[in-house]
Amino acid sequence: MVSAMTAPSTVPDCDADLIGRSLDEPEAFAALFDRYSAMLYRYVSRRLGPDGAEDVVGETFLVAFSKRHRYDLTQRDARPWLFGIATKLVARHHRTEAARYRALRRSPVDGPAEGPAERVAAGVTAWASRPALAEALAGLPRRDLDVLLLVAWGDLAYEEVARALGIPVGTVRSRLNRARRKVRAALGDTNPMDEEE
Amino acid sequence: MDDLELLRDLGRELGDEPPATLARQRGRLLDAARGRRGLRLPGGRWTVLGVVAAVTAAAILVPALVLHGRGARPVASSTPGAGAKAMNILVLGSDRRAGGPARADTVLMVHLPADRKTGTVVSIPRDSMMSVPACEGPGGRALPPRRAVIGAVFTDGGAACVRKAVESAASVPIDSTIVIEFSGFKAMVDALGGVAFTLPKAVTDARGRVLVRPGRQRLSGAEALAYVRARRGWDDGSDLARVRRQQALMKALLDEAHAVQLKSPMRFARFLAAAARSLRTSPALDLKAMESLARSLRDLDPGRVGYTTVPVRPAPGDPNRLVWAPSGARTVFAPFRR
Repeated sequence: MVSAMTAPSTVPDCDADLIGRSLDEPEAFAALFDRYSAMLYRYVSRRLGPDGAEDVVGETFLVAFSKRHRYDLTQRDARPWLFGIATKLVARHHRTEAARYRALRRSPVDGPAEGPAERVAAGVTAWASRPALAEALAGLPRRDLDVLLLVAWGDLAYEEVARALGIPVGTVRSRLNRARRKVRAALGDTNPMDEEE
Repeated sequence: MDDLELLRDLGRELGDEPPATLARQRGRLLDAARGRRGLRLPGGRWTVLGVVAAVTAAAILVPALVLHGRGARPVASSTPGAGAKAMNILVLGSDRRAGGPARADTVLMVHLPADRKTGTVVSIPRDSMMSVPACEGPGGRALPPRRAVIGAVFTDGGAACVRKAVESAASVPIDSTIVIEFSGFKAMVDALGGVAFTLPKAVTDARGRVLVRPGRQRLSGAEALAYVRARRGWDDGSDLARVRRQQALMKALLDEAHAVQLKSPMRFARFLAAAARSLRTSPALDLKAMESLARSLRDLDPGRVGYTTVPVRPAPGDPNRLVWAPSGARTVFAPFRR
């Protein structure tokens, strides 16, 4: 929980300046791409897979560019705004996303990677829990799923999720709690590692 | 590990590091920033593999199924496949739209092994920088060696220059070049009297105007073409998803062709003529050669055709262009050297 609350240290403090400048010099907007495209790509590829992610990231920046006039320049960090746009675009592909989780639920294809012993042990836990996690993700309503994955896969803090989705922070908390309860229930409320020992 | 950690772990496993080709999306953004977006054609520049599938199928599978489905004249008495050699074919899909120059929107290499049971299709991104050897452009104009993106090579040097450039970059010999005008695809569909097809949703242009409505219907040639070109808001927007989508249309087209063949021989003859007219081959394949190629493809299972793309990375000094990753290119073209 602590890590989700802390803003990543890589946040530069002048996204708003860049966006402000891009109103006169549109090409300045490309600097935002250089800053955040990789981060967004990781988030989107986790949800939709690598095939669709590239295009969704491209669209995200095109949408952002076309809406830059409406950006609140007092918000220095543009990440929540960009993640919010990307999340809306991901929603258009909800069938792809759902099918992905359903497929995982059915067939854990790869065994855990080989490596140092503790990584293997952690890998076994993660691997064993994968079908249950996928099952839980496939069953979550979209608004809870978005909050959960913006936190877990987008590394946003609660306030940032609230900005991304345009909802109050209290709502972020309640949706996240609800989603996590379901995930824990799907995991049997236990750590599969402990169970085996 | 708590539930969030397990979830993060799953995320790391499911996701991917950004590929080099993400630079193309930066190019899209810059195009928009420079105000070029209004000039972009409906369907955008990245309709690469989408049309590829249709074009490949049109070039190879349609004549194959159509010609030997017809029972055909016994041209060669040899058994199909006997004596056939492995073939490398360069396919260029040319999308000449109102007033513009001919552009190669689709560049791909097709390898057919001697037994013709499988196939390999390698798509070459249009923005690949190539070393183009000296070559002869249209009208015998001599062009000096140069570096250029492959789409531009087709525009000023024609198919012959593209062929030389690809042969040299991939180090594989090309036996035959096929140029397909997309307008020909449209004519083929119209010659059949349209194709019955179900669209899950509407095809729209950049301004949101509906080009093809959703639902079960008969698509005209123009509508089928709009569907093959469509990319805005379709499936997950990826090339591979588009290929699958196109293949569904090709299957419908083939079903249609078979039905028409039985019901209406006259209409079927018009379809064949349209198919033949939409292809330019070099060296020229006459009907007999096409038929023999088609016969040799009888055993080809469309499900065993592999699709891949030359691995690329942004060109040094110009992130809007791409260069081939040498080792990756060697790998994807390896089957072509056998």
